[in-house]
Amino acid sequence: MIVIDAASPTPPYEQLRAQLARQIQDRSLAVGTRLPTIRRLAADLGLAVNTVGRAYRELEEAGLIETRGRAGSFVSAAGDQALEQARRAARDYAAVIASIGIDPAEAIRIVEAALGHASTP
Amino acid sequence: MRQADHTEARQWLAKHGLAGAEPTLLLAARLAVRRRAKLVDSLLLAAFLIGAALTHAFGGIAEGTSSRLPLLVLAALVVGLLVAQWLVGWWVRRVDRRAGAQLSRRVAHPVELGWPAVLGRPYAVFTVATFTAALLLAVSVLPVSDSGLRRGAIVVLIGLAGAGAGVIMQLRQVLASPAVAEDEVSLTTDVIMRVEDARALVTPSLVWTLPAIFLYGESLGWWNAVSLALVVAGAIALSLIQIRTAGVGTTARRAMATR
Repeated sequence: MIVIDAASPTPPYEQLRAQLARQIQDRSLAVGTRLPTIRRLAADLGLAVNTVGRAYRELEEAGLIETRGRAGSFVSAAGDQALEQARRAARDYAAVIASIGIDPAEAIRIVEAALGHASTP
Repeated sequence: MRQADHTEARQWLAKHGLAGAEPTLLLAARLAVRRRAKLVDSLLLAAFLIGAALTHAFGGIAEGTSSRLPLLVLAALVVGLLVAQWLVGWWVRRVDRRAGAQLSRRVAHPVELGWPAVLGRPYAVFTVATFTAALLLAVSVLPVSDSGLRRGAIVVLIGLAGAGAGVIMQLRQVLASPAVAEDEVSLTTDVIMRVEDARALVTPSLVWTLPAIFLYGESLGWWNAVSLALVVAGAIALSLIQIRTAGVGTTARRAMATR
């Protein structure tokens, strides 16, 4: 399910991008799943076509989806690779944290702050 | 919300396994417009059948004077029925769109729901088979020497073509109309409505009626028996499909399950 809240301070395209990315990464959306067309999703969510187009474009640039011409947009197999890349980065980060002796709770707060910063447009 | 609308929405939710959900204004508005549209659709169909039967009857009386006129009138009736049905569909979509535009929170499913998920293959096969059988019957009656019967067969063919186009057009509307939902419950009800609308569309009341009304001539023939057999066989097949396939609520939830 995708939720777009007009009252949220997060822009609609980012709400859409983040939710689709999360569902692709946690495999709620399996590799090969066909996503709705941009026009269809825009109508469903009451958004402008350009807004949905921007979210799809960013997901495509991140390698999470691929567009196969007129056949539509599909969840890319690269989604698994991206997940593996994130796991690898987390392992590296954990190793750095352990080597410099930072408390794990503090390390998680650092990550949360970094993620919050990263999701800000 | 009016008490009657509230009660109707509550009963509809309970019927589809959502007894715990609270009826909302959104649901009440969508159910109300569908109830009215269903009534208008029935009246349109009745008006079409009466008009077509009158055309057929007067065409028989006026035989030899202007044999093309009844066919033209019938073609106009078919076009009128299609346009009116399209307008009814447009009215339902407009009410949905207006209701959706008032929502501050919009919810959609990330996977597009196609016709196999919404309508289901058994219903699709049944619809194609019903139309095909009626078409074959009408075509096979064309070589019969009875001119009244031939005219009836042409009427059936025109009616079937119009009805087929109407079903395809309205099915496309049902599948393509935007989701109108603000949370998980209303998204589920949205898909349930799609499944209900799609199944109602393919119930072949017009397809059964046309041959039974128009394929009669100066004497009873095999075509009358086949017309009745098609209705009986179709009704049995539809009942079996309804019994053996999942209910509307289950089908909707399956369609929503991410693959």
